[in-house]
Amino acid sequence: MKSTFLLCFLLLSTYLCNGIASTSSAMHTNNWAVLVCTSRFWFNYRHMANTLSLYRTVKRLGIPDERIILMLADDMACNSRNKYPAQVFNNENHRLNLYGDNVEVDYRGYEVTVENFLRVLTGRHETAVPRSKRLLSDEGSHILLYMTGHGGDEFLKFQDSEELQSHDLADAVKQMKEKRRFKELLIMVDTCQAATLFSQLQSPGVLAIGSSMKGENSYSHHLDADVGVSVIDRFTFYTLAFFERVNMYANASLGSLFSSYNPNMLMSTAYYRTDLYPRQLEEVPVTNFFGSVMETIHTDSAYKAFTGKDSTKSTLKMPLGKSSQDIRRTLASSDVQCPTSDSNVEDPQDSCPSTHFWNSVDEKMRKVKGLDTWVNSGLLLMFLLVAFSSWLSF
Amino acid sequence: MAEAEDESAKPKPRPIIRLGLFLISHSFVVSVVCCAAGVFALLLLPVLAKNTYISENALMPGSASPMLSNDDVSRARAFVNKVVSFDTKSDSSSIGLQELVAQHITDLGGEVNFHRFLPQVNKFNPLHFFSSPDQGIVQENYSCSSYGINTVGFIRAPNGDGKEAIVLVTPYNSVKTSTGEALSLGIAYSIFSLLTRVTWLAKDIIWLAADSQHGEYAAVAAWLREYHTPSFGGSGRGVFESNASPTTGEKRHNDFLRAGTMAAALVIKVTDGSEKAERDVLNLYAEASNGQMPNLDLINVVNYLAVNGQGLRVKVEKLGSLLDSWWLRSLGELFQKLGKVARSLNPQWNFGISVAEYIEGTATLASSLYNQALGVPTGPHGVFRDYQVDAITMEISSKRLANYKNRPSELLLQGGRLVEGVIRSVNNLLEKFHQSFFLYLLTSPNRFVSVGVYMIPFALLVAPLPMVAASLFADASRRNSGMENKEVTTFPASSDIPAITFGSWRWLHAAKTVFIVHFWGAVVTLLPHFLSLVPDSAPLTNLITWIVLSASSLLILQVILGSSFTLPSMTHTRGMEWTLLKSVTIAFACTGLCIMSVINFATAEMGALMLVPMCLMSRPLRLDAKAKTLKSFLRAGCNVVLTFMFFPPVTYYLWKGALVGLDNARIGDFWNWVESLWTWNSATYIYVCMVHLPCWVLCVHTLVYPC
Repeated sequence: MKSTFLLCFLLLSTYLCNGIASTSSAMHTNNWAVLVCTSRFWFNYRHMANTLSLYRTVKRLGIPDERIILMLADDMACNSRNKYPAQVFNNENHRLNLYGDNVEVDYRGYEVTVENFLRVLTGRHETAVPRSKRLLSDEGSHILLYMTGHGGDEFLKFQDSEELQSHDLADAVKQMKEKRRFKELLIMVDTCQAATLFSQLQSPGVLAIGSSMKGENSYSHHLDADVGVSVIDRFTFYTLAFFERVNMYANASLGSLFSSYNPNMLMSTAYYRTDLYPRQLEEVPVTNFFGSVMETIHTDSAYKAFTGKDSTKSTLKMPLGKSSQDIRRTLASSDVQCPTSDSNVEDPQDSCPSTHFWNSVDEKMRKVKGLDTWVNSGLLLMFLLVAFSSWLSF
Repeated sequence: MAEAEDESAKPKPRPIIRLGLFLISHSFVVSVVCCAAGVFALLLLPVLAKNTYISENALMPGSASPMLSNDDVSRARAFVNKVVSFDTKSDSSSIGLQELVAQHITDLGGEVNFHRFLPQVNKFNPLHFFSSPDQGIVQENYSCSSYGINTVGFIRAPNGDGKEAIVLVTPYNSVKTSTGEALSLGIAYSIFSLLTRVTWLAKDIIWLAADSQHGEYAAVAAWLREYHTPSFGGSGRGVFESNASPTTGEKRHNDFLRAGTMAAALVIKVTDGSEKAERDVLNLYAEASNGQMPNLDLINVVNYLAVNGQGLRVKVEKLGSLLDSWWLRSLGELFQKLGKVARSLNPQWNFGISVAEYIEGTATLASSLYNQALGVPTGPHGVFRDYQVDAITMEISSKRLANYKNRPSELLLQGGRLVEGVIRSVNNLLEKFHQSFFLYLLTSPNRFVSVGVYMIPFALLVAPLPMVAASLFADASRRNSGMENKEVTTFPASSDIPAITFGSWRWLHAAKTVFIVHFWGAVVTLLPHFLSLVPDSAPLTNLITWIVLSASSLLILQVILGSSFTLPSMTHTRGMEWTLLKSVTIAFACTGLCIMSVINFATAEMGALMLVPMCLMSRPLRLDAKAKTLKSFLRAGCNVVLTFMFFPPVTYYLWKGALVGLDNARIGDFWNWVESLWTWNSATYIYVCMVHLPCWVLCVHTLVYPC
């Protein structure tokens, strides 16, 4: 009895250890959103309305406020030109006040600078910066980065004084990747010539979508004759129109979002760059980025990390009994699609030592010929060992 | 090989110098080509005009729907009726109408104060630069009844920071208010009644109901002067401010209230329109003193809102006499054909312009150029420009005015919504107007010629001057050196060094002459000041005295400052001294024109049109008479005609005759015209007296030069 119990325990620990090793770089565990409005002044009302609309949407879909970094010039609601003081609308019907009670702006006014933006992305803050203003993402994070403002060929203007170039963005994303600050990153940009901003991106796991191609302008959707300004941009308007039909439990995919953009309605061509992104867009729910819907994985033990830490012996067990089950579990999880391909994508130097080790073991396993006989003999040996030890104990 | 060595031994001058030498040696051809091209380019300007566009993003005109309601309008209508039926005689107080306006402003919830001022007589005072003006002494002569009293209403922006303001000006005669003035007050009142209720104001609103019984300009100028010279404590307050309050007992009405810096000012006027226009017309006046213009964006906003929002027809002033001139029509046809040919060659070249468009454009351009060149503001908006505030006069000319009693609301609604739109647009501004042009000429309310384009004709006109001057100077010195060589051969020992120095410094004689004439020009400039000290003299006598005094002063200067006009006998025998004189004259004319182009470009442009041909053509008549060829007679004839035409009074009368006909022109008009120039402190007056007139005298001197 004892021996079987022990065996079971060993096998279980092997599986759990394997699970940790593979998901430590691949498992989607949390969601973050960085929403940036890069312009200020009254006539750019619509950019703030864009950002606040997105803020409202991602909050509605489940990303909590502490995981949203909101960067706004925030000079609209209390602008003296605002006919509706302390209110911001994104539609002329004025049904929805975006500037309600619980809008937490993390970077406000002149804090919205290229420097702060890059610091948020790369996590290089001064020590005094509070946690609420930091992007505390990890290698299991899905990050939505939304930016709107005035842009041009390979740049985005920040508040009339600075600009963010496509190189800067690509460099920041690369640093994030190297520091394993995200698992997947969706960059959504609503500016003129937004597509040019993505041209320098190289990091895997990045999906980018822009409102317009090179040489195209992004237009505002409509003018609110009451407030006297344009209140929302077309791209954002149709994005929001899509999300209004989506709730937290919906299964709408990114592919359906991207195909919902009609160039005639946008008056520009939405551009998306998928070559760095490993998954099929049709299989990725939008809530993976715009919400915070995680795959719930049933585990048998609450102490998986503790138990699987240091058992090197059990590694040999990994392919033995549980390999088929492992594969089944992986397929069952819609989230972790292909752990092996994921580990292939990563550079060996990038990953932590344990992952490295596991990868090398994995490689060796695959190379060994006559694996079955080897495994069988090992099993036999193990069985003998267990039998012997149980005999001794009796 | 030998040639090559020679060339290397004697290095060529740099290309730019060679080009300069080439141009100087062909100065005749170059100057003819340049002048012709300059005039042609000037005529081409209407074709090159661009459509205006709103350059400042923040303005967003017309993006907000007008909020002026019928309620505001009916209130304004009641106010207009009160103003029209107001009887000054029956009212015991001298400021009854002002009190009425103030009461209405207070009722609406605005702040109000009275500003009393004395009309300041515009006096030309050339010694103004050296002494402070003694206004107090002048003003004491006025009786109390001649005060003007402006009523100024303020709306403080509810959420604004109070640092900026928009000014509405409605000039009206408080003694005898016309229907148009009452309606303009009504328009301002309707706006005021709306703006006291809105939440979107970022700038304060000032409504200046200017008392125009002493002139619109004087009233606005007095208020602006007071606004911009804040006095601290009681000591700085004027004598008349400390007198009894115009209101009975209400102290706050007497304090001078202020808002922030002015972002823009709108002068609103309503006049009786002509019957033939089927729509109401909005006339825009923008020229301020010395050809300064408000930012083009302000004109664009008004034009955009008037055309697209209110369906008014916007007009800017144009010279009516040009509209049916045959030469302009044929020129327009030529340009139209050229445009068609160009488009047939390449559809991208789209600079064709229809004949009617060209004629309209040219007439407007000429008017724009003339008004700027005159340097006299075309309305009370001009005074704002002196404080760097962009301002414009909007004159709504309605044919409905005659029977306004039937349908007054329509006009009030239209005008009110237009002004509201402009205010809302300017209210959106974050900075001063700075995006669009300040230097431009209008060819229609929505087409303009920017500074980069209209400089070309002037540059082409002025370009030959330095070349011809250099060529004449080179010519004269070559002749001199030739003669001196002869002298040297005849008297080798005696006058070697003196001859050379004399030759090289010879131009100083000519320069001395030119200097004396220009000094005389300065004297002529100052003379009217002393003439104006003589009270109650007719314009004609003044003009004659001026001319006589000027002529005699020229003679006196000639006597005192030596024999510069009767040149030394030695040069007399050579007879080529006039080339040097002409060379220096041209050089001076060029300098004067270039300086003037910085001060008032339009003046320089029109001055160059006259001065350049006159200076370039001038040549002693005797030389031409001696030559006795057809060419020389033609040249002499041209010279005489040009010199006659461009004597300033003659030019004035010719211009006047071309515009309105000489039937009712009087000789004294010229004096009045000059007087208006100096009372408005126009730099054109200085230009005419100190550049144009001396050059004219020097040209005459060249013509009658004894050879």
